[in-house]
Amino acid sequence: MVFILGVNFPERNLVKKSLEAFFGIGPFTSSRLLSRFHIHPTCKIGELANKQVLDLTAALADMKIENDLRRQVLDDIKRLKETGTYRGRRHALGLPARGQRTRTQTKTAVKLNRIDRRL
Amino acid sequence: MVSPFCWGCLSQLRPATRALTGPAALPQAALFHTSSVRNAIIKKKPIPHDSKGPRYREGSSARMKKKKKPVERARPPAVGERKALRKRIVLSNPNALEVQDMQDLSAETMVDARLRGSVVGLPVPMLDQLRAVQAFKPKQGWSIFRRPGTLMRKETLEMARLFEKIGGDGQVYKKILTGERGSGKSVHLLQAMAMAFTKKWVVITVPEPQELVNAHTGYAPLSDDEPNLYIQNEATAALLSRTITANKDVLSQLHVSQEHPALKKAVQPKMTLQDLAGVGIRDPALAWPVFQALWAELTATEASPAAQQKFKARPPLLVTVDGLAHWMKGSEYRNTEYKVIHAHDLVLVRHFLSLMHPGDKKPTLPNGGLLLYATSASNNPFVYGFDVALDQLAARQAGVSPSSPEFPQPDPWANADQRVLELFRTGKPTSPNERALEIQNIGGVSRTEARGFMEYFARSGLLRENINDEWVSEKWTLASGGVIGELEKLGKRIRVAA
Repeated sequence: MVFILGVNFPERNLVKKSLEAFFGIGPFTSSRLLSRFHIHPTCKIGELANKQVLDLTAALADMKIENDLRRQVLDDIKRLKETGTYRGRRHALGLPARGQRTRTQTKTAVKLNRIDRRL
Repeated sequence: MVSPFCWGCLSQLRPATRALTGPAALPQAALFHTSSVRNAIIKKKPIPHDSKGPRYREGSSARMKKKKKPVERARPPAVGERKALRKRIVLSNPNALEVQDMQDLSAETMVDARLRGSVVGLPVPMLDQLRAVQAFKPKQGWSIFRRPGTLMRKETLEMARLFEKIGGDGQVYKKILTGERGSGKSVHLLQAMAMAFTKKWVVITVPEPQELVNAHTGYAPLSDDEPNLYIQNEATAALLSRTITANKDVLSQLHVSQEHPALKKAVQPKMTLQDLAGVGIRDPALAWPVFQALWAELTATEASPAAQQKFKARPPLLVTVDGLAHWMKGSEYRNTEYKVIHAHDLVLVRHFLSLMHPGDKKPTLPNGGLLLYATSASNNPFVYGFDVALDQLAARQAGVSPSSPEFPQPDPWANADQRVLELFRTGKPTSPNERALEIQNIGGVSRTEARGFMEYFARSGLLRENINDEWVSEKWTLASGGVIGELEKLGKRIRVAA
């Protein structure tokens, strides 16, 4: 088990997938992180050198991920609402915010467009 | 019947509460069990388990639920087991007949022209060495015969003569093998390795060049001075391991004779080369400097002044690579800017490719040796620049001047890789012992060789046919002019008598 940014990952897991476990890191960011520290894409957590683990943790600590990012998204929606924009209103109503029709099929908007959006 | 109340009044009547009505209002017909029914807790309607949030426009047709059968899931095989099964190499089939009076490959038989067209067996003690350098490939048909053997074809005998020549006066030959799928390029390399082991040469091989570039092993920048070159420690350690397992007899007799400033304390002066390589295997962080040191030792012609007395002349080297095209394009590795790292920027690849160029003052392999780099036809990435470079090499070999209009030029619109083209523009060797890079096409076997090969199948009990010239000629044609892989397929196909 190896700690990366306070999260414990089993050694058999791929480094790439483990990085993608953080909110805000997808395939794009994780593959760039790997190449930044010369980690090959099929590397397992157990194969990482100590220095690489520290480097990764340091790099992740600098990034806006997890709760910081969640808070930012919520703040953005709140700001839209408070400034009275159309997008903010649509979020408050739980309706599509980007000009989609609402005659049918607004499930996703109903599910996601809220002031307290769940992330 | 007309109601005594008018409709308007009736609608204004409040519904009486239950407490007011009392038991007297109960229906009289069912005396025995109604109260318990009424007092029972009313069950709520079961909520469908997938109802999250509001539901719109759902299909109203009945959904048929299928009963799921309990699936029995066996445990998946252990880690590495499937790969081991896939890469398993079986070299013996006890059901096949032993071929009588089959000769073994030896220093005498390998140059014997009378054996052309017959199958010679690989000596049993050598099989471990050949396995160590991964000379056998899983898809080759070794598992159908009693013991592994190879056909002595024209190219094999030519190569054996080359081995004699190189062993005599330390010449260096460099060849790129091309040929169709199943034409025997990999087996040609295997024969070369077998001959090299017979002659007590040192064999260094890269059996799967793809593994160095498909980003499945670790990599790191070489040093701060050279940020654009990359080492692969694990792959280098694996190469060292293969090399010392296969060449144990030779390397344990040779001693360190040069000074290696990169490996200060790891190298003792009286170390054997086997121990030297062991340092790199134990500590992969040192694998690359150890490989460089080993290479320096193997190509040394004389000892440094400190280690004069133990110096023995180094044996010639056989260097083989099977599947060159993978090294002619960008690798799967990325640099810190997420740009693709070209395969030529990996130092191990660069080392093997640099051997194709003639050496500065000394030949690239000063103690003599043979460089055999085969292309592959089955696992072959398309690299346009490489195809053109091979065409150019063939043209130069045929005597076409690079300035003449017949000389193949890359299509200016096809974006050929200039690094690849540049790599094959090798200069003329300065040393008389060194030959320029050649290209050798391995084609089909001749009809007589095909006959010998098919007789080997028959004598192993795999083929029940009367083997005559007509039959062999038919199969030779079916195998598109004696492509040996196709001949093998025809030979081992089970026939059912009509």
